[in-house]
Amino acid sequence: MKKLLSISIMLLCAIMVFSTPQAEKPAEPELTGVAALAKAAEAMTHDELVQKASAEAGVFTVYGNTSRITTAVEAFGKLYGIEIASSNLKDAEIYEKLDIEINGKAKGADMVMIQDGASLKSQMLSTGNLINFVPASVKPYIDENDQNPLVQQYINKLFIWNNKDAALNITNVWQLTEPAMKGNVIFKSPELEQVNMNFLIMCTSPAWAEKLAEAYKAQYGKAIELGSYSNAGYKWVAEFLANCTFIKSDTTIAEEISQATAAGKAGLFVLSKLRSSSVLSENLTVGQYLASETGKAIEPFSGFMYPMYSMVTANASRPYTAMLFIEYLMQADGFEPWGKSIGAYSGNKSLPAKEGDLPLTVWKDCLVSEDADYILENYETVSSFVIKAL
Amino acid sequence: MARLKDKTARMPLGNKVVMFFSKPANVILVVFFVLLCMLTLYPLLTLVSETFTVHAGREATATKQARGSFTLYSFKKLLFTLDDGGSEGFKESTSWIQFYSPLLNTMAVSITSSVIAIIFGGCVAWLVTRSNIKFKKFISTVFVFPYIMPSWTLAMFWSNFFKNVNVGPGTSNGILASVFGIMMPEWFVYGFFPISMVLGLHYAPFAYILIGGILRNMDANLEEAATILKTTRARIVSRITLPIVMPALLSTLLLVFASTMSAYAVPVFLGSPVRYYVLSTKMMSLMNTYKGQGYIIASVMIIFGVAILAINQWFTGKRKSFTTVTGKSSQISLVNLKKASWPIAVLLVIILVLLAILPLVSFALESVIIKAGDYSIENMTLDFWIGRNLSYLDQGDANGILLSPKILKALGYSLLLAVSCSVIAGTCGVLAGYGIVKRRGSFLSTAVNNLSFFPYLLPSLAFGAIYLALSTKVSFITGMFALILVGSVKYLPFASRSGISAMLQLSNEIEEAAVIVSVPWWKRMVRVIFPIQKSSFLSGYLLPFVSCMRELSLFVLLVPTSDTILTTMLMQYSEKGWDQFGNAINLLIIVVVLIINFTVNKLTGASIDKGIGG
Repeated sequence: MKKLLSISIMLLCAIMVFSTPQAEKPAEPELTGVAALAKAAEAMTHDELVQKASAEAGVFTVYGNTSRITTAVEAFGKLYGIEIASSNLKDAEIYEKLDIEINGKAKGADMVMIQDGASLKSQMLSTGNLINFVPASVKPYIDENDQNPLVQQYINKLFIWNNKDAALNITNVWQLTEPAMKGNVIFKSPELEQVNMNFLIMCTSPAWAEKLAEAYKAQYGKAIELGSYSNAGYKWVAEFLANCTFIKSDTTIAEEISQATAAGKAGLFVLSKLRSSSVLSENLTVGQYLASETGKAIEPFSGFMYPMYSMVTANASRPYTAMLFIEYLMQADGFEPWGKSIGAYSGNKSLPAKEGDLPLTVWKDCLVSEDADYILENYETVSSFVIKAL
Repeated sequence: MARLKDKTARMPLGNKVVMFFSKPANVILVVFFVLLCMLTLYPLLTLVSETFTVHAGREATATKQARGSFTLYSFKKLLFTLDDGGSEGFKESTSWIQFYSPLLNTMAVSITSSVIAIIFGGCVAWLVTRSNIKFKKFISTVFVFPYIMPSWTLAMFWSNFFKNVNVGPGTSNGILASVFGIMMPEWFVYGFFPISMVLGLHYAPFAYILIGGILRNMDANLEEAATILKTTRARIVSRITLPIVMPALLSTLLLVFASTMSAYAVPVFLGSPVRYYVLSTKMMSLMNTYKGQGYIIASVMIIFGVAILAINQWFTGKRKSFTTVTGKSSQISLVNLKKASWPIAVLLVIILVLLAILPLVSFALESVIIKAGDYSIENMTLDFWIGRNLSYLDQGDANGILLSPKILKALGYSLLLAVSCSVIAGTCGVLAGYGIVKRRGSFLSTAVNNLSFFPYLLPSLAFGAIYLALSTKVSFITGMFALILVGSVKYLPFASRSGISAMLQLSNEIEEAAVIVSVPWWKRMVRVIFPIQKSSFLSGYLLPFVSCMRELSLFVLLVPTSDTILTTMLMQYSEKGWDQFGNAINLLIIVVVLIINFTVNKLTGASIDKGIGG
């Protein structure tokens, strides 16, 4: 009797769980809800947005992959007299939280700043969980390619090395695969940050593989021998990772490589980490900065770049406030928490990079950028290849 | 007896039910059974169902199926892809790299760290409770420090102390290398050895608290009788002492094994530089990309935990009694260490200073220097603690942490959360322990015993995610209530383990004496049972408190904002590279816990350390 009772309870729980509907959202021919509001709002002026946002009530909540979103939203809240709340979340956390809250129609974020274009496209845009909004007041200053999804800023990760050893001078990425560099290349594991994995996947794309093959020839004076590798991109990725030592955070990488005892060490990490007071930036050489001075570029790229997107959530309780905040972030005041340091480049072309830094146009030329479609299509194959090299 | 059984069997159902519910132990067990089914079984089954479901994104692309469909893709990919290693064989296959190799590493680390924790914690517990070692107060007070500190800070301390330019990234020298010129080898600084050591030392206080609580109350007559019969010391330990503390030992093994299996920060910190991977690191990365595979790893962790729980059940079921506290008078006499007393005490003090005090000094130092690496007086400031208008720093808040409204508010919420979780979990643990032991051997007791431990086996991030999903279905599970609920359920196992261990030690005759004079149940609990086993029960309150104060991954998905509690604020500050503020907040959390421990000591006369014999 007791066993029957307990089995019945377990079955009941199982039925509750397995009967929870998780069906795909049906395709909607017409926009509804927040999506419809966002579409209509794209024609609104700044004052109209302000008026609409003022009519909304409740706490305005934002989530961000970037820690400086807190500073930005606090200033926004003070400016418009809105009560705000913010959460800084990492890769796995932000997608998980958004997925659960939006599908459960629970109160969560009204707006997000999020990276990893491939995940954004496949998990959030295709399901309608995140809505795109391009403010009319700044649209003329945003590249067409950066409008959907809206790129609020670009962040770059560059080859930066300790300059205590004058002999170390990277002018070709194949130098990082040489025996002398074994253990001396510091990188955050692609398993810990998706944008790093995305970069490695992009290296295997036909365009970059061809450039890598040319760079090989330029470095060694002979054509590349692929052996068992499918293309030059795979070969470079495998040999680069074999020489890497992994540290779990870009901030730590910057601090460690900048130490006086780190002569001969090179890293691929976020440029803006140099703003930290614990990084001894006088001991560091930024590859592309040196390239700009000497005229000798790093073949075929100086690192990679990825967008930080700004999106409205489908379950936003303050959608117009979210849109107003996105407009704010695309302008000088809103971009200031990032713009006052090097390594952040607004999607608004009229906002220049920090003085002393190079403009976005230069970075777009010399860095590997994400192609969400290529990444999604090839993720399974290339990521399996990458994890074997870790 | 047979006649009584016959009589009971012939009773009408209604009378049987009344008789059943007239026993407090039965009422407790039924209530807990229902509650735990909802709060534990449901998340467990949700987790299992996720392993068979297609998730949006990469899984949908790989399987070409709609989101939400049934699939065995995750199982095939993670467990059975052993043929894509090419010429290198299965050791280069996806399944070996993503699952089997990390699994072996995890087992090695978990077993080793459990052994370290039990040996170190158990030995120190014996020395403090059963011998005349010097500096007892200091040792028992300081021994719990490593658990109060977040485990990653211990890992950071290990790395900062032992690192050098010959190992790992090789970018800088730690204290040992730069001050003494001693370069430790790579196996000592990164990888299996330091991960096991740090986790073992971090969880040694579990062993100290649980085993010490039992040894404190053990009647010395048992050992003295053996001494009179000229039994050797080693035989006394192996045939008398060890069997008596076995329930506490197994409970410790269970808790430490489950904790180390799902530990994430330490293996990432100390394992990544040498490519030593464990299941938790793989699980975290897979949760973001191939969620089904991530949940399979979580399920495997639970299976191991259940296996150890089964061993625990089998062993405690074998023996009839673990009673040490009876109605008869008992005495505690201490073993005289003679000449060994001072050397052992000094050695222990040195070890504890290195493990427990030095890290605190390091946090304090790091929180007062402006430029990193410069420890001169000119570079020091108290601004990060009590400064005002700190715009010159271009980081952090406008004020030092003790004057920042944001941080003080987060401290308040952290305390509210930790105290609430500890009161709920602690009280439930005492009640559950009572019910489980009083009805030991029955189906209900076994079921509640197992269910009360399950929450600890679920990895924190997965547990938090499942409760977040639950909160979208049940509207009142929101905000601080959601945090308190998930914290209480997650840390109930601490309280239930100590409750069970304490009740197993208590002989029935003590309560029966009160029953005979018609003392009501609640009075028996409050005036008889709880006071006798206070030190053991109290650890069931204090451990959830300490755990909640420094927990991050359990709460990170449920907090309304990153500024709600101190640990999520700390993570933000670390991400931004605001190291001084981060170290100050870290030290603040530890100091607050110590102050609470001290206050509890003053108010109740008992605490973790004093109750054990300090």
